[in-house]
Amino acid sequence: MIAEASLGSKLSIVLATARMRMLNVSRYKGQLFVEILIPIVFAAMPILLGRATGGAAAEANFLRNTGTANYPAFMLIGSSTFIIVTFAFWLVGYWIRFEQETGTLEAIYLTPTSRVWNAAGIALYSAIRSMISGSVAYLIGSLIFGVNPLQGQLLLALAFILVGLVPLFGMTLLFGALVMKVKEANSLVNLMQWTVSLLMGVFFPVAVFPPLMRLLALAFPPTWMVNGVRSALLGVGYFFGEWYLDLAVLWGFLLIAPLLGFWVFSGMERNIRRREGVGEY
Amino acid sequence: MDAEVRVERLSKTYYPKQRKGLFKSERREVQALREVSLEIRRGEIFGLLGPNGAGKTTLIKCLTTLLLPTSGDAWLHGYHIVEQENLVRAAVGCMLMGERGLYWKLTGRENLIFFGALYHLPPKDRRRRAEEILGLLHLQDLADRTVETYSSGQKMMLAFGKALVNDAPVLILDEPTNTLDVPSARELRAHVRELNASGKTVVYTTHIMAEAETLCERVAIIDHGQVIDLGTVDELKRSLQRDHVTHIEGIIPERASQAVAALPQVTKLATSVANGTTRLTVVSSDGRAALPRLIEALTAHGALIQNIAPEEITLEDVFVAKTGRSLTEDTRVR
Repeated sequence: MIAEASLGSKLSIVLATARMRMLNVSRYKGQLFVEILIPIVFAAMPILLGRATGGAAAEANFLRNTGTANYPAFMLIGSSTFIIVTFAFWLVGYWIRFEQETGTLEAIYLTPTSRVWNAAGIALYSAIRSMISGSVAYLIGSLIFGVNPLQGQLLLALAFILVGLVPLFGMTLLFGALVMKVKEANSLVNLMQWTVSLLMGVFFPVAVFPPLMRLLALAFPPTWMVNGVRSALLGVGYFFGEWYLDLAVLWGFLLIAPLLGFWVFSGMERNIRRREGVGEY
Repeated sequence: MDAEVRVERLSKTYYPKQRKGLFKSERREVQALREVSLEIRRGEIFGLLGPNGAGKTTLIKCLTTLLLPTSGDAWLHGYHIVEQENLVRAAVGCMLMGERGLYWKLTGRENLIFFGALYHLPPKDRRRRAEEILGLLHLQDLADRTVETYSSGQKMMLAFGKALVNDAPVLILDEPTNTLDVPSARELRAHVRELNASGKTVVYTTHIMAEAETLCERVAIIDHGQVIDLGTVDELKRSLQRDHVTHIEGIIPERASQAVAALPQVTKLATSVANGTTRLTVVSSDGRAALPRLIEALTAHGALIQNIAPEEITLEDVFVAKTGRSLTEDTRVR
């Protein structure tokens, strides 16, 4: 039987792929626990450094540069958003690498399904997993460092994360295409982790960057995402003054990045099928 | 009869890197397929026979859209493999890479349901199809265990089941009995015959000649990326036009031996006697056709025949005659 590929069946593939990855990771329970600890440990270092070196003047300085004196919350939001961003980035790349190594990538390519729907399923899975990890980490971290986790506009912060995730998944297709080509994910992820955390300003506002760096950071959707979340929760100030203008910029990324990612990914797929095939790893 | 698969002058050239030390490498041209043309009829079991590296898997990967051909055309179930790739994928159930095509951390049932989704089956149909396949292959008892706990043979069976998920008109099976024990291999071949009897076209690659002989209606012999010969197993054997050898044992008087030697089809005759039994080795030019005359000549002259054993020509003989090499040789370009 040749079943017809309706939009419904394509969305069903998204859900089935996300479910498959959930089932898969549910068989590695330790991994789920450890990843909640990562943002807390990640944020602990600058927070403790701040406590060790900071005084009244330091807090005033921090307030002047960032818009808030609440540096533990600033760091925690940064690191929790970072875990969401970094998940979105490397899960598609790691997914391709994992499927390449286990041999299931060819099995997927034998089916009449565009890989974009699979990637969307991976994105959905990664969004759910990272949102849970990021939120739990933020809550636990807030308890540890005495931060009020319910301050500010929570729904608006959530909107910045959700809108920001879509262009991120578009960008991750670029990363996936790169992994498919170079057949390596770890070193790319390592490089990406530091670059992403630097550009998005995990522990500092991008205002402190030199002008060229600041321009580069502002061309990067996660920078708008983390600043939007901080502004919604801590009132540090939106780049364009109003929340809807910053959100509109993220919507702009949302329209462009997935198209660019799809175009590059499809081209890379075709190139690889013309050469050695997707099964080579 | 309609062609279910049509291949016209299909070529595939790779340029793999050849390492020349730590950092140096150079690209080298490898012609994996050279203008392959063939037709596979609807409803037949078609064998692709050849040693490792002959080009069988490359041909299959092109037919299943995993690889883009360098030149040439092919159609599967009427769909062009490059221009209508999703329709081709929907029309074929494929077992490639054996157990590596499965998710080892998922159960057998979860694997089948997931692949059902990728073939656009509605959720209810995915579960129903998974149950059907598990029942057909007698895998119900393993269905809720993760694949990593299966034996190699059970994994291969599940991989075969995965090829059935979309109930496609064409089945492509690449060395499906690798790692299977004898009873499991026999069971899998029985399933292939049943599926073929239900109307499916089967493309079956193997380097086990006995398997091809017993299963396939027609066979293409592939070597160095080219189709060397194609036909039914009998046609290929007949094409050899080789002298046939028949061993006859029994109480055979001298005059009966002489009568056999006098037959026009007999080109050579050797006689030996051991423990009161005579053994004739008869070389004839037209094989089985000469057999009734041999028996007639022997019995007419008082011979008591205890055993007749014609030496069969195998596909291995055909392959050796056509290529000058054994099927077990590895012909990969190094």
